[in-house]
Amino acid sequence: MNFEAEVISWLPQLRRYARALTGDHAWADDLVQDTAERALARWAAFRPDSNLRAWLLTILRHLYIDQLRGRREIAVDDESAPWRNLEAPQGEVDGLVLRDLQRALYCLPVEQREVLLLVCVEELSYQEASRALGVPIGTVMSRLSRAREHMRALLTEGPAHGPARKNPPLKVVRNP
Amino acid sequence: MNSDDFDSSLPEGLDLRALSAYVDGELPGAERAAIEAQLAQHPQAAARVAAWRAQKAALRVLCGAPQRSERDERDERYEREAADEPAFIVLRRRTPWWQRAGVAACWLAAGAGLALALGPLAPRLTGGAWGGLGGSPPSFAERADIAYAVYTPERRHPVEVAANEEEHLINWLSKRLNRPLSVPSLQEYGYSLVGGRLLPGEAGPAAQFMYENTSGARLTLYVTGISRDETAFRLFRDGNRRTFYWVSDGMGYALSGPIAEGKLRTIAIDVCSALGGKPESWQ
Repeated sequence: MNFEAEVISWLPQLRRYARALTGDHAWADDLVQDTAERALARWAAFRPDSNLRAWLLTILRHLYIDQLRGRREIAVDDESAPWRNLEAPQGEVDGLVLRDLQRALYCLPVEQREVLLLVCVEELSYQEASRALGVPIGTVMSRLSRAREHMRALLTEGPAHGPARKNPPLKVVRNP
Repeated sequence: MNSDDFDSSLPEGLDLRALSAYVDGELPGAERAAIEAQLAQHPQAAARVAAWRAQKAALRVLCGAPQRSERDERDERYEREAADEPAFIVLRRRTPWWQRAGVAACWLAAGAGLALALGPLAPRLTGGAWGGLGGSPPSFAERADIAYAVYTPERRHPVEVAANEEEHLINWLSKRLNRPLSVPSLQEYGYSLVGGRLLPGEAGPAAQFMYENTSGARLTLYVTGISRDETAFRLFRDGNRRTFYWVSDGMGYALSGPIAEGKLRTIAIDVCSALGGKPESWQ
């Protein structure tokens, strides 16, 4: 399989990751487009013995981080937040639970969200995730465990689960 | 490292990172066995592992990942997925002759994207004035048309250097385009020079000169260096704007404006000969 064909074969997966990361279909499609273009333009920088998928995810992540800086921070409870418009996934898991999960996912700081998605959804090995994120494996491991605990806390403390709603609904305070 | 900020009910010394790595199947045999031994003793730890596994499965559902998660089935799965979801992104690159163009194709695609982004401004080919024009107009003609659309509506800053500094304007732009330029007078047609600006062209700088008549209608003359030497004199239309363009002696010229074709053509022929071209040969 030649390089271009191989890049193309990873596009559905890149798109899935980008959608999960951004929570915004249009943004995700742009990211995938940019990633594919950059990858094809820089094919010479790719070492044939390394993992193409991890390399593509790395490019996508750099683009995302760059673009994130240029965007307004969106409050999680914002009615116009892009992930509000994601289609409710169909499947075995209850829709309401998934909505809570989705909300919790976008409450995580980007560093935790991306590692969680790379390992749990994209099934990257720790080694690959470490390369894609540009951090040591130890950092991948600790971020990942913190992300899991963070998610768990958000889900158990969330308004849908707490029997006595002591906590006010979660809110991300916009940075001044 | 035990960085558990949310729950302290786990047994002392149980590393959350190791537990998490256990969930992901990242532990070597001995450590895995050790964790399993601990899980058997500590129901809280086992509950944590179960919660994380459920979380992982739910995330996969949320993100639309396939449910069979055995790693060795992955390749087959992605191939199937790729077949299910056509690679929509790269379709426009797959026209056979650019597909082979490798890196160049990326730039072409990027250009296509730019043209798309410019949407309403993006010119559509409506046919050559004198027939026989099969392909697209050269990009300098499109650039000239876009530059016209972008800058002529400007009331306060239509140009960078105004006509009252004509000498400076011509020297400056000649220097940037690296060849002597001259600005033909269109007074005869009622248009006087407003000024000019420097623009990024296809393969280097380009100059735009703007003219205006007493009723405020504007024409622009776009000039840029060009490697192809094709001498045809052609028309390119977009909306109500028309652009006559030609190439002469290594330079591409384009005269754009919203006026009647016949009139613009007359002016263009005049401009062409004023700039040392030979419009006679095209008539």
